[in-house]
Amino acid sequence: MSTALIPRNALAWLLGAQVVVLLPHLPRLPWWVAVLWLGCAAWRVQIQRMRWGYPGRILRAGGLLLTGVAVFVTQGTLIGLDATVMLLLLLFMLKLLEMRNPRDALVVIYLGFFILATAFLFDQGIPLTLYQCVGAVVLVAALIGLQQSPARNDPWRALRSAAAMLLQALPLMLLMFLFFPRLAPLWTINLPSAESRTGLSDTMAPADIANLAQSPELAFRASFEGDIPPPSRLYWRAMTLSRFDGRVWSQDRLLEGRQPQAVERSGAALEYQVVAQPTGRNWLYSLPGSVSDSPELRAMGDDTLRAKRPLSSTFGYTATAYEHVQRQRDGLPDDERQRLLQLPEDSDPRSRAWAEELRQRYSSDAELVNALLRHFNQQPYHYTLRPPTLGRHSNDEFLFDTRRGFCEHYAGAMTFVLRAAGIPARVVTGYQGGELNPRGGYLLVHQFDAHAWIEAWLPGQGWQSFDPTFQVAPSRIERGLEEAMREEGSFLADAPLAGSRYRDISWVNNLRLTWDDINYQWQLRVLNFQSEEQLALFKRWLGTADWRRIGVVVLSLVGLVMVVQALIWLRPRRLSGSPAQLAWQRLDQRLGKLGLGVRAGEGPRDWQARLRQALPQQRAAIDGFFDRFIEQSYAQRQPGEAQAQLQPSLQTLLRSLPRRRPPAPSQALD
Amino acid sequence: MRARARRWHQGWLRRRIPPARSLRLDHRRIFILPSRAGMAFLLLLLIMLIGAINYQNSLVYGLTFTLLSLFWVALHHTYRNLAAVQLRATGGRAVFAGEQVPLGLTLRSERREHQALKLRWPGLDAVSVDVPAGDEQALTLFHPTERRGWLVLERLRIETRYPLGWFVAWSLVDLDWQVLVYPKPVSAPLPVGAAPDGEEGDQPHAQQEGVADFQGLRAYRPGDSRRRLDWRAWSRGQGLHSKVFAEPQQQSLWLDLAAAAGRDLEECLGMLTGWVLEMEREQRPYGLSLPGVRIEPAQGDRHREVCLRALALYGLEARA
Repeated sequence: MSTALIPRNALAWLLGAQVVVLLPHLPRLPWWVAVLWLGCAAWRVQIQRMRWGYPGRILRAGGLLLTGVAVFVTQGTLIGLDATVMLLLLLFMLKLLEMRNPRDALVVIYLGFFILATAFLFDQGIPLTLYQCVGAVVLVAALIGLQQSPARNDPWRALRSAAAMLLQALPLMLLMFLFFPRLAPLWTINLPSAESRTGLSDTMAPADIANLAQSPELAFRASFEGDIPPPSRLYWRAMTLSRFDGRVWSQDRLLEGRQPQAVERSGAALEYQVVAQPTGRNWLYSLPGSVSDSPELRAMGDDTLRAKRPLSSTFGYTATAYEHVQRQRDGLPDDERQRLLQLPEDSDPRSRAWAEELRQRYSSDAELVNALLRHFNQQPYHYTLRPPTLGRHSNDEFLFDTRRGFCEHYAGAMTFVLRAAGIPARVVTGYQGGELNPRGGYLLVHQFDAHAWIEAWLPGQGWQSFDPTFQVAPSRIERGLEEAMREEGSFLADAPLAGSRYRDISWVNNLRLTWDDINYQWQLRVLNFQSEEQLALFKRWLGTADWRRIGVVVLSLVGLVMVVQALIWLRPRRLSGSPAQLAWQRLDQRLGKLGLGVRAGEGPRDWQARLRQALPQQRAAIDGFFDRFIEQSYAQRQPGEAQAQLQPSLQTLLRSLPRRRPPAPSQALD
Repeated sequence: MRARARRWHQGWLRRRIPPARSLRLDHRRIFILPSRAGMAFLLLLLIMLIGAINYQNSLVYGLTFTLLSLFWVALHHTYRNLAAVQLRATGGRAVFAGEQVPLGLTLRSERREHQALKLRWPGLDAVSVDVPAGDEQALTLFHPTERRGWLVLERLRIETRYPLGWFVAWSLVDLDWQVLVYPKPVSAPLPVGAAPDGEEGDQPHAQQEGVADFQGLRAYRPGDSRRRLDWRAWSRGQGLHSKVFAEPQQQSLWLDLAAAAGRDLEECLGMLTGWVLEMEREQRPYGLSLPGVRIEPAQGDRHREVCLRALALYGLEARA
């Protein structure tokens, strides 16, 4: 076995499988990896054609060393998932050159299966999954090629068999997928580094979100138990920004890190489910005052939700929001209050002066806030995706000179003024609204739905949300960005191919929403199918979450599928042929057990004579059968008539036969 | 202990798969176990499963379960690749010890194609064969012989790992090939004492010119030497006849075990074998005398076979 050569079919499919398996990884790898593969494959083909030899020991050792160095140089490390996968891919290629016998080929194929799995750590989309099915078929075809006789040269047959076998594997696979208990991770692992993606950042400077609003990418999808709330309620909080350095708003770790405090929830509960796209960060999106019992996430002190691990792949969670939420109504701790009033000393003098003026005019905090909102509403402010650049005192310039800005300008300036007037306030960033997918009845929230608004703490009321942008451009809140930007014509001006731009063309839009619905179902039902969903499924189907009872049901189901498949595959082959031949074969089988089966080249008369000798007591039955048999086989009688007589005579003979072989008669053959 | 286990195993096999000239492989005759490649694959799946658990990745779970399920499918395919194959022993002729004995075997498929079946005796090279669907595939296997007597073949192992190599399905069949192995011929000068008239040099010459001893024709009987057929009469359409020569009593040679001067019995039998071949080559009548065996002088293919058979089985129990 180990000295045998690799069959041609196997090598053909092996090289094919390598291309298929490597392709999804290549975009994440330097260009020379593809060149290296081409080199290895060409060399291997030359080896097979007996043109070139195998590389020597020094070359192999050098190649291995270079591989390690290359991985270290490109990835900066040799450990960690990205480096490990790259190392694995390079070994997968280099192994081609020292693949001498079927056992080596087996190692390459097994590595291929493993690499097939690693691709799913980086991408779990439907297109990749379908593509990986092709990879699996080709790898299995290579396995088959390895087992075929070396002389065979019909590679397509190997591929067909591979596809057929994988299809036959599906029923059992589905059962296992549904019922195999989803365990918690056994140990902590490093996740693939998220590629740089567009999305919210954890800081906010003027024009940041306006830039983000040019992106048609998906941020997350959300579905609701029951009706989808009106857009004015759909303020998806991602994070709060409480520190200001004169230009950039950023998070205050101390405030977030606290336990959520004094939250009172009342009124109707609103259950919703979010499937977030990977961001490489751990913030999540929630409606104000949401609670979640998912073990994978936690609630923060600023009333936001965070995932325990950065999102390297799509992440789903459920949460419940309430109609009325009151947060910290009874007051703020002193240190918290101080942090929420923090402003840099030397920034924006005109805004400070204006804040003091307002403070003197309105003694009540609530009145002051309303006055500010009224100001945005009544003065000639303009909502635009193309704000002018601002200088050192950005709030001053925006409030009194340019008066043109996007949501982050309004939220930043308003928070600044409130703080200067002594009212604790912070910027909230996240997304607002979303696009309804009527097919799936869920919301699509895109990057261009990114939004910033504010929260102020008012005595006796606790935290209250305000949206200055609403005062300037109410259509942004009620009908979305596209509507708000209709006049300016700047919606997705930089993304001519974005599907969202073509909502007016109905069939394009239908196609886009249908595809999105399929993707969402995929994420909800497949990618997000972890322990919670599994238990929910068990409760719905089996009415129990008791693992022992589930185990019994599951094992019997798996057993049932296996038995049914085994029965289909192993059922006794139906013998083929005419009725006479079938009868002959049945008799042969039965007599074979007595050691009296028909011999090679023996005709009916000879066999009959031998049987008469061996089974003297059954002579009548033997003669009966053979006479009928010969009649039917050799005398051209009507098949139906002869069969009618053949069958009973066969039955008679079969019934009369002894269970064990009778002692051999003393006399020799005549 | 091992010998006992082996004997028990052999007995069990004999009951389960009794010797037969032809048989059909079915569930009673086929054994199947995961191969080493299959075990390695299961290990790979375990690693992938741990990956799926740690990364909470549904698609890695999916791939792992697909492959595990494929493992189960492969079990059946491997079994089915061997099941329902019909084996039939054909031929097997006598050879001299040390020669390879050709053993004819026909494999028949009832319906499905059977790929990459490997046939092999323990310690010998495997022969790989494909059996086309609904058709027969005849092949000749070669088995070395060492000593004279009835060749007792070990059970032939027929196995397959097709399609995926994760399982090995096999059967051990005894196709009841009956092969007689003649002693290995040892060349030695013909026994001098037995040579009549001491005129060895003239002997072949006299034989070829023995026209004077020609007595007439008789009807051909199987076993008659071809050289004595009367081709001329046959070409005239008078049927096949053998020429009959007067057996010159003084010229027939007795090949006696006592005359062979070998180191041991086997070598002596080898010498006798060599003499038989020599006498046949020279077309001289000869008789064979072994203790307890006496074969009257004669000549011809049938006589040669009778003598060689006696030599092959001398002192051994005849096979039942």
